[in-house]
Amino acid sequence: MRILRSVRHKSCADGSFMKEFLLSEPVPAGFFAYLENFGEVEALPNLGEGFYRFEKPDWFSIKGLAGDTTVEVRFKKEVMHLTVDFLYLLFTSYREGSVDLSVLKQREQAVGKRVREHLYGRD
Amino acid sequence: MADNPPIIYLNNAATTWPKPPEVLKAVGQSLSLPVFGSGRTTGSQGEDYITLAREALAGLLAADTPEHVVFTQNATDSLNILIQGFLAREAGCHVITTELDHNSVLRPLHELERQGSIRLTVLPFENGSVSPDAVEAAVTPDTRLMVTAHGSNVLGSVQDVARMGELLHEHGVYFIVDGAQTAGHIPVDLGKLPVDAYVFTGHKGLLGIPGTGGFYLQDPESIAPLRYGGTGTDSFSLFQPREMPERFETGTHNYPGLAALAAGVNYIASIGVEAIAEKAERQTAFLIRELKEEPNITVYNESPALPIVSFNIQGMENDDVGFILARAYGIVARTGLHCAPLMHRAIDGGRGSVRLSLSWFTTDGECRTAAKAVKEIAQNANSSFGSP
Repeated sequence: MRILRSVRHKSCADGSFMKEFLLSEPVPAGFFAYLENFGEVEALPNLGEGFYRFEKPDWFSIKGLAGDTTVEVRFKKEVMHLTVDFLYLLFTSYREGSVDLSVLKQREQAVGKRVREHLYGRD
Repeated sequence: MADNPPIIYLNNAATTWPKPPEVLKAVGQSLSLPVFGSGRTTGSQGEDYITLAREALAGLLAADTPEHVVFTQNATDSLNILIQGFLAREAGCHVITTELDHNSVLRPLHELERQGSIRLTVLPFENGSVSPDAVEAAVTPDTRLMVTAHGSNVLGSVQDVARMGELLHEHGVYFIVDGAQTAGHIPVDLGKLPVDAYVFTGHKGLLGIPGTGGFYLQDPESIAPLRYGGTGTDSFSLFQPREMPERFETGTHNYPGLAALAAGVNYIASIGVEAIAEKAERQTAFLIRELKEEPNITVYNESPALPIVSFNIQGMENDDVGFILARAYGIVARTGLHCAPLMHRAIDGGRGSVRLSLSWFTTDGECRTAAKAVKEIAQNANSSFGSP
C-alpha cells in the first residue's frame, strides 16, 4: 500500500497541519492494528467498516475508515519535515500478516531523536 | 465525479448546494455572449445582469432604492468596506459587537482595536442572542457604531435587530447588520428595519454562486469609499463618482456571479421566503427532536429560527464525528469553530461542534438519514473507544 498523493490540506485550529492522502488501495483494518507498534490506536469498529485513529504524540495522528482509499493525517507542524518520510514508510512497509518491524523501529528511533532535539533541545 | 457515492449535503450555512437549475442556466447564458456592461461596450444584445440582480435583491429585501444595493465579492468584503468606510471618519470612537458574531465582523474590529483606532466592547449573549437592553446599556457617549449578526451561523438564532436599531438610533449610533445567514432564509424588510446597512452574501440562502455579495446602504454619504477606479461613467472626472452604486462599485463586475444571484433571488421569490422558512423550521425541529433522544448528544440550540443544528457527541471529537459522517454515511456537515470563536468559547469551551445546516433542497428523507446516522455514531461512541 502506497500514498499516491495529497488531495487536501489545511492548517488546523490546534496548530497542526492536516493532509488528506489518497492511497493506492483501500486501507485494511489490519493496518491500524499494525500501527499499534508505533503509537496508540483507538477504534470504533462498528461504524462503517471501522473507524480508527492513530496517535503518535509529537509526530502525527492518522484517522481513517477501514476500506477507504484516503486517510487524514495531522502533523505537528514544527517537525513535519522530519516525520513525513516515516509516514510514507509506514504505508509502504505494511503487509497483510506479519511484518518485519526491525528496520522501521530503527528508523523510528533515529527520527524520534531528531524530533525530540528539535522540539525540546539536546539532552 | 461519476464514481463518487451520492452525498447528503448539510453544510448549507457555509454554501448552499445544490443550486436551482435556473441558476446554473443563468451562469451558462451569461457566459455564452460577450459582456454587455453599461458604459463598457457598444454592444447591447445581452441581458443587463447587474441591474437584474440589483432589482431582484431590492425586491426580496423590500429595499426602497435599488441603486443603494451595492455588489461586492462576499459578506466579508462588504463588512470590511462598511466598517472601515464608516470608521475612516470616526477615529477613536467606541464600537459595539457581540460574542455571537463571525470572524468577518470580529477580525476587522479587533484589528482596528489593536491599531488603537477604536475602543471595542464585545457583548455576551444569552439564549442565542444579545438583548436590546444590554446593547443600550453598553452605549457610551463616544459610541458611534454597532456591528452584529442578524442570525447566528452556529446556533441559528435570530437577533432582535429591529429593537436594537431603534435604541441605537435614539443614541445616534450607526447600525450595521450582517445578514449573511438570514437573507433568503427569513423575511427581511429593509423598508421597516431601522438598520443603516444590511450585508448579504450570494452563495448561501440567496442560492447564488460564490464570489458575490453586497450590502444595502440607507445613506451613501455615511460610508467613505475605500476603492477607487473605473466605473464606465463620468470618465472625464479623475475622482470617484458620488452617485450610487458607482460610489462603491468599481472595476468590472462578476457578471456570471450576478446572473446567478439574480436567478437565485428570483427562484426564492417564486417560492416565497415564508414557505422556505416554514419548511426549514419543520425539518430542523425534527432533527433536533431526534438527536435529543440520545442521552450522549448535546444539542446547543433547541429552537433555532434558521435551519441550523449544532451538537456534540460526548466522548468524541466533533472533527471525528464529521469525518465518520462524511466517509461512512456520505453526509457532508461542518465541524470546528465555524469562524465564530467567541460563540464557541461560550457554549462549548472553545471545543467546537458539529453543525448540520439545511436548505430548501434538503429532503425529509435526507433529514431522516442524517438523524439515524448521527444517532448510530452516538450509540457506538457510548461503548467508548477501544483498541482494534
